[in-house]
Formats: sequence, C-alpha cells, structure tokens
Amino acid sequence: MIAPQKLTVTLRNLRAQTTPTHRFAVLGASAVLILIPLLLRLDGRPHADWLQFLGRFHPLLVHLPIGMLMLLPLLEIAGTTKPALREAAGFVLRITLVFCAITLTLGILLAYGSGVTGSTVTLHMWSGILLLIGLLLCFTVRPAWTAGQAPQVYPLVLAGTLLALIWTGHLGGSLTHGSEYLVRYMPGPLKRFIASGSQGSDAAYVGSVYMRTIHPILDAKCVACHGANKEQADLRLDLYALLMKGGKHGPVFAPRNPDGSLLLQRVTLSPSDSHFMPAEGRTPLTSEEISVIRAWILAGASPSATGVPGIAPAAINADLPPEPVGDYSSLMNQIRQMQQSLGAKLVAVSATPSDGLILRTTDAAASFDDAQLARFEQFAPFIVEAELGRTAVTDASMDTISKFTHLRALHLESTALTGRALGKLSPLSELTYLNLSGTKVTSSALAPLKDMPNLRHIYLFDTPADSAATAAHTSLKTPQ
Amino acid sequence: MKQHPLCTDCESPVTALEFPIPVSVKREWAAIETRRRFLGRSGKVLGWAALAGLFGEMGLWRSAQGTDLRTPPAEGRNDLGLPHFAPKAQRAIYLFMSGGPPQMDLFDYKPSLASRFNNDMPDSVRGNQQLTGMTAGQAHFPIAPSHWPFGQHGQTGTWVSDLLPYTARMVDDLTIIKTMNTDAINHEPAIMLINTGNMNAGKPCLGAWLAYGLGSMNDNLPTFIVLQTKTNPKENNQPVSSRLWSSGFLSSEYAGVGLRSGADPVLYLADPAGVDRDVRRQMLDTVEQINRQTLAEVGDPETNARIAQYEMAFRMQSSVPELTDLGQEPQSTWDLYGPEAKQPGTFAYNCLLARRMAERGVRFTQIYKRGWDVHGDVVGTLPVLCQETDRGAYALVTDLRRRGLLDDTLVIWAGEFGRTVYSQGGLTEDNYGRDHHPRCFTAWMAGGGVRPGITYGETDDYSYNIVKDPVHVRDFNATILHCLGIDHSKFTYRFQGLDQKLTSPVAAYVVQGLLA
Repeated sequence: MIAPQKLTVTLRNLRAQTTPTHRFAVLGASAVLILIPLLLRLDGRPHADWLQFLGRFHPLLVHLPIGMLMLLPLLEIAGTTKPALREAAGFVLRITLVFCAITLTLGILLAYGSGVTGSTVTLHMWSGILLLIGLLLCFTVRPAWTAGQAPQVYPLVLAGTLLALIWTGHLGGSLTHGSEYLVRYMPGPLKRFIASGSQGSDAAYVGSVYMRTIHPILDAKCVACHGANKEQADLRLDLYALLMKGGKHGPVFAPRNPDGSLLLQRVTLSPSDSHFMPAEGRTPLTSEEISVIRAWILAGASPSATGVPGIAPAAINADLPPEPVGDYSSLMNQIRQMQQSLGAKLVAVSATPSDGLILRTTDAAASFDDAQLARFEQFAPFIVEAELGRTAVTDASMDTISKFTHLRALHLESTALTGRALGKLSPLSELTYLNLSGTKVTSSALAPLKDMPNLRHIYLFDTPADSAATAAHTSLKTPQ
Repeated sequence: MKQHPLCTDCESPVTALEFPIPVSVKREWAAIETRRRFLGRSGKVLGWAALAGLFGEMGLWRSAQGTDLRTPPAEGRNDLGLPHFAPKAQRAIYLFMSGGPPQMDLFDYKPSLASRFNNDMPDSVRGNQQLTGMTAGQAHFPIAPSHWPFGQHGQTGTWVSDLLPYTARMVDDLTIIKTMNTDAINHEPAIMLINTGNMNAGKPCLGAWLAYGLGSMNDNLPTFIVLQTKTNPKENNQPVSSRLWSSGFLSSEYAGVGLRSGADPVLYLADPAGVDRDVRRQMLDTVEQINRQTLAEVGDPETNARIAQYEMAFRMQSSVPELTDLGQEPQSTWDLYGPEAKQPGTFAYNCLLARRMAERGVRFTQIYKRGWDVHGDVVGTLPVLCQETDRGAYALVTDLRRRGLLDDTLVIWAGEFGRTVYSQGGLTEDNYGRDHHPRCFTAWMAGGGVRPGITYGETDDYSYNIVKDPVHVRDFNATILHCLGIDHSKFTYRFQGLDQKLTSPVAAYVVQGLLA
C-alpha cells in the first residue's frame, strides 16, 4: 500500500503537524485506557451504589457518540466541496472524543459497579477502549490530512474507528437484547452462513431428569443473567458442571440438602427482599418448579438420574406427549451430509427438535445394510423412530439399534431378520411399537420382549410366530 | 375566449362549471385542470406505484419461497415449521364416495321411521331450507324408511346396515361421525368444499396441502396419488374432475397424480423400443437445461415444478411397475380383498394399491368411487354400490392393521353430502329415491390419531337435522390436519393478499371428541 520511502515521508509530515506534548498526551492516554481493565478488574462483586447509579446512564449516553461518529465521514466527504463542513467536522470529532470518553467511563462504572462478568461484557469493554484510542488517533492525524501532507492515514484510521464502533455497538446490543436478538428472525438462507456452534456439553445427560425437567426451568428463569453472555455474581446455570461449581457466594446447589442450597433459599425469599431471585422485573419461579428443584436436590442433584421420587416421570403412554429428546439442531449439517451420501434420511418428527428424528430408508431400502445403519450411531439419542422395513439389515443390526435410547417405533418388516438377537432391544425402555411382519421371527425368539412393559404393539403378520402370537396380539389391541 | 371550431353556439360555450353546483366543488375542478397540478399528481402517483411495486415484490418473494426447489422437500418441510407438533398419522388414505351415500340406509339407524312410512315429513323439520330443483316442486315429502334391517356389531354394539356386512366386522376400529354437514346442496360446490375448503375452483385440495406442507416420504413415487374406480354404467355417476386434486395456487408439483383405472395405470410408462435408460436420461438432462434457461429468463416458479415433474416421471418408470406388480402378494391378501381385487380398476384393487402405496411411503392416496347419487331406485342400486365398496374398505383397514400400518395411517371414508329421508319421486312399498342433503351425513375415520370404536354426534329422528355435536366439513378437514401434525389455523399460504388455508377464512375447529 504505502512504500517504505513514502511511509517515512508520511511519518515526517505527521510529526510536523503535531507537537511532542501532543504526541505524548495521546500515547499516555492510550496507555491509561489500556490499563483501566487491568486496574479495575471486574471481580463479579457489586461495588458502591453511586457507581451503578452513574453507570446506568451509559445505555442512554451511548447513542450520542455513535450518531456523531457516523456523521463524521459524511462531513469529511461533503467537506471536499464545502470547506465550511470540513471545519465543522473538526469540531464534531472533538466533541465525539469527549462524549466517547464520558460514555466509556460510565460503561466501566456500570460494569464494575454492578459486578457483571462474562465474555461479552469483557469484549464490549475492550472494543470500547479500542474505539476511544481510534478516536484519539483520528484527532492526532487529522491536522496532517487537512494540511494535505498525509492523505491516506486519516481516512484509514477513521475507517478502522468506524469498524470498532460497529463491533462495540453490536456487543452492547447483544448484552441488552440477548445475543440471538439480531439473528432470530433472520431469513433462513442468511442464517445458514452463521455457524451454529453449540458449546453445550450436557448432551451426555440427554433424557435425564436434569435435562428434561431442571434444565428447562433454569433456562427459562435464570440463564438470562446467569449464563454464557452475562455471568452475574460469577454464576452460570446453563451447564451442569458450572451450576454445580456455583458463584462468588459458593455453591448454589447442595446435593441432598435443599434447605442448604443457596439457589432454593434465594428463590423462596419474600419477593420484596432485595436478595430475592429472579431479580426485580423477571418472572419468579412457580411453586411447582420450586418443588421439582427441591425433589431433585433431595435425590442427590444428579445430572444423569432418569427417575427422581417426587417428580412425575413423563409416562411413556400414547395418550401423553412423548418424552422430549435432546436438541439435534447443532448436528443439522452432518444430517444433511448423511442424507446425500447414503440416501437414507433423518427427518424431523415435528418443528420442535425435542420431538426427535425419524430414520427413513425408503429411498435406499434395497442397499441399506448393517454397516450403513451403524453410521447413524452418532445420532442415536435423537432417533425416536427407525423405518428399516424392506432393507438389507440383519440380526447384527440389533447392536446398533440398542443404542437408540429414545427409540419408540421400530420397523423391521420384510427383512431377513430371524429374531435371534431381539433380546438386545430390552434396554430400549421407550419402545412401544415393533413391526416384525414378513420376517423369519419365531415365537421363541420373542420371549425376551416380554419384559418390556411399554412395548404394546408387536406386529408379526406373515411370520412363523404369526399363528402362535395372533391371539396375544389381538388381546393387546382391544379397543377402548 | 377562442371559440371552438365545432361549436355552433355563439361566443361562450357552456362548461360544467356553469352548472348550479357548490362553489367548493367548482374550485376543486378548476384546480384539477391546471397543468402544474396534473404533473404534480402524476409524480406522486408514480412514486406510490414504485413503492407499491417494491413492497409487492417482497410479498411475492415470500410466497415464491414455498415453491423453491432448492429446499429438499424430504426434510419434513422444516422451512415451513411443519409438522407443528408430533403427528399421530404419517399418511392418509381417503376413500371418497362421490355422489353422496344415503346415511340412513348405511349407518344412521332410525328405527322409528318404519312406523312413519309414506307420512309427509313435518314442515318443522325442513324449516325454510331451500331444496334442489329436483324435489323443490314436489307436493309431498313422503318419508322413506330404510329398506334394509340394521344389526348391532362389534364389542361396541354399533348399528350398521345389513348392506355392509364387511364394514360391520370392523366397527370397533372405526370412528363414525354421524353429524357431518356442509354448506352446499349440489355436487360440484359440495365436492369442492369438502376437498378444497372452498366451493369455487382454484384452491388446493387436502392432498395438495399435505404434499406441500409435509413433503414426500419416498422420492420415487408421487406424494399424492389419486385412484379412480371404474364406473358402473348402471349407477348414476357424477363426474369428478382434476379440479378436485388440483394444487390451486400452490406449485403444480403438489397436485395429485392420477393413476388410470385400467390395466395400464400410467400410459407409455415403458421406454419405446430403441430408447434405453441412458438415452432417456440424456434427453431429460438436456430438457432440464433448456428449462433452466427459461427459468432464468422468465422466472416463473412453475418451470421449477415442471422440471421436478419430469424427474418424478423418470423415476416412476421403475417405481410404478414395482408398485402395481401384485404377483408377490401372498394368498392371504386375496382371501382378504376378494377375487375382485385382481381386476385393475375395481374398488378392491384400488384399496390393495393404496395399502401398497402406504407401505412405500406415499403420503396421501385418494380413491374416488362414483355412483352414490341415488336419486331413484335406491333398492336396486344401493346393494350394488355396497357390494362394490364394502369388502375393499374392510380389507384395507384390516390389512393395514395386521401389517402394523394402521398405527400411523389415517383412513377416511366420506362423500360430499348425505341424502334426504323423504323420497324423491314416487315412494312405493319396495322402492324409493333420495335427494341431496347437506344438513347431516355420515363419514368414518380409522387409524392414526382418531379414537377407535366411537360414534360421534346425534341426528334427529328423521336423520335430517343435527341434534348434538355437529362436525362441519371444515372442522372435519381441521381434524384430519391435526392427526397429521398440522395446526390448520397456522398452515397458511399467502396468495392474493390473504393468508389462505384449507379451512378457508371462516372459523373451523379441531373436533377434540374424535381424537385418540
């Protein structure tokens, strides 16, 4: 861009337009700005009230420097034809600098005073500091530019400053409106460009009481302030490991000791108490939610327990909505790839991801074998229905199928199955429907299925077991 | 003032301004006449037109999304947010009894009518209802009780006419609705209303909505297939037209694909001599290129639909022969469906095909059986109609059940309306006729999502008016959509400035009492 020789000339010109005192002041101010976050470390503790009182003017005042800074390039461009506007630009730059400094100060007061922490908060602060330094630089190099001595430097610095402004503004918006605010209603095609990187590491607990019952409550009522974006009081409640770690007041969950659990204490205080949670203006927990959390703590607050006394298990019954499975949204790309390479599809049961996926092989039935089925193991916890009718799967497929922990319906009609390995299905506690029509399954092979309480529909049409089991089956299928 | 050359009057011609009208209006007229005002107004109008064009384009963009082929329809149409909730039924089979079966001769048992034979129907029952031209001129409305005895069947003890011995065997699997009702009294509007939710043509039918909303389960067969039953010339066959399985304002790839009722369900299915699959493939690829050029030039989404249809036809060349090859069916199939099922085009044959389609992932199959329009000679024709359809319907439900498909397949049996209790034309000891009747008729459903073994709703002693729990055809359609995981009120498509839906803009309700 700028040749070395030219660069020295440019630097000399810049130096000519500024006094040493000026340069020293800019450098010093930048150094102080960079030191601020190190000196005023955000420790997650609220400090003096007056800090917060002043700090809360930050979201109000912030719009002033934004507007002025956006005005600046317009004035500079218009200034090429009307010199008066260029003079005005100098003034606008100066007051922008002043307001930006005030806003930054208030922002730091707000963060420090309220004791808020979190990666977005930290980033927002740093980008704000960067923005102010950018403005200082603009202020420093502009005289050289107006004198026509360093034509590229000021526009470049100004452009950089504007980028910093956009970045800072976006982070600030994410803090007040939530990080999903901007993209939530984005049209589908655009959304695809934004990688949905899920950092959830609780996938291992899919199906547990924690994931099914406790996590949704915390997610709805607590995570807005105690989550990845905002970590009030150093506490995060969005992941099991973090919620057990607790916050700056120590652990909030004491397994088997509900009364000693800080979280329960806080949510059961009088709503007028200043320590009552969720904080002022947010929806309190219902008494059912509180009793569910209490029961879970009493039972040991385990992340993986699938049954807890006092919490009604989501009964696996056709009349009740099926138990939710985990959210597979983050796996959508792999699901699409799988479809393209194998022809078999993973289809959403409904628009609600927790309703799970259907493994559908109709289009590739003849070539779909055990090896291909095994490749779907990575989606095992999300598959609620497997349509393997007319495929080339064999008894060996039971090993894979037994890993589909949420499987409710299994189609194996017209396959080469002999039923030898049907016993491997016994861990599938949610299985209600099993279609073995047109296979070689005998009645003796069905014996291991007797212990599966929810398996209410077994279809054996056109099998060796047919005549033997017809009676039993019809008795199961009596209408209400 | 310069005199107009054609004006014979002297000096000043009379203008509108000289009429005795309010001064303010005159002033406005005068203002309109100025060139400045004309130009100013034109400018504004152009501005508004441009703005409307911009916004209109945004609207079009939204509605065109539905026809975007780049979205693979097989992903459960996640782009539409469908299904709205976990569905009980994955597919549906609709046995459509075109013409209007007489409910009081089949399901709606009215024993008290026997004693009222040939009595005039009380005016209070008919009220101010407008009748069809066929019976409006009748001086008398003589009550014609059903010619056939009824019996109680199944564990539920449901009353069914002796005309339907096979249906009687499966009543415990059925959800019988006695209080269906519709707005139209003539075939075309009534059949359009129940199929498309609107009496006027141009709206998509239930199957097209499902194909659009739920997408395909099998890439090699159409999502929505229509089967016609061969007509019996002795019956009064009302025409059915492709309007009934049209996609309306939806892309035409969602329209029903009709299979012929003859031995050759799709004509020219096999490649002609000398054309092998590769040549056919090359030809289609070239045609597709040309079509893509057209699409790029014209931008009509229907071009996309046409490309998809060519591809579907190519795949159907191999999938349809497999579908219609009944050689592998075991003897138990023929025992169940009866020997008629071996003849292509019979109702039983179509029911068997429908079962095979259900197995192969066809989302929606509609079988049309015409001839139910029994204006006269009910005693002569109704037994034939029942004999033609009874066993097939029973075999289909039973076959689906024993193969484990009834759990997630919804079977529907319905016509467009019912028939009158009074006789059309002369009533004799052993024969009568029945006119169209929209106020109540009977339909049944079975399988995924509906409660088996119930009879829903009550009609009055004349099977004329509804006493309890009416089910309008719109509610019926809303309930069918519900079984398939769709909230009918949210399933809309923007067209002509309206969020169109199957259940039309009039309120419709899912009938909770029918649901499992």
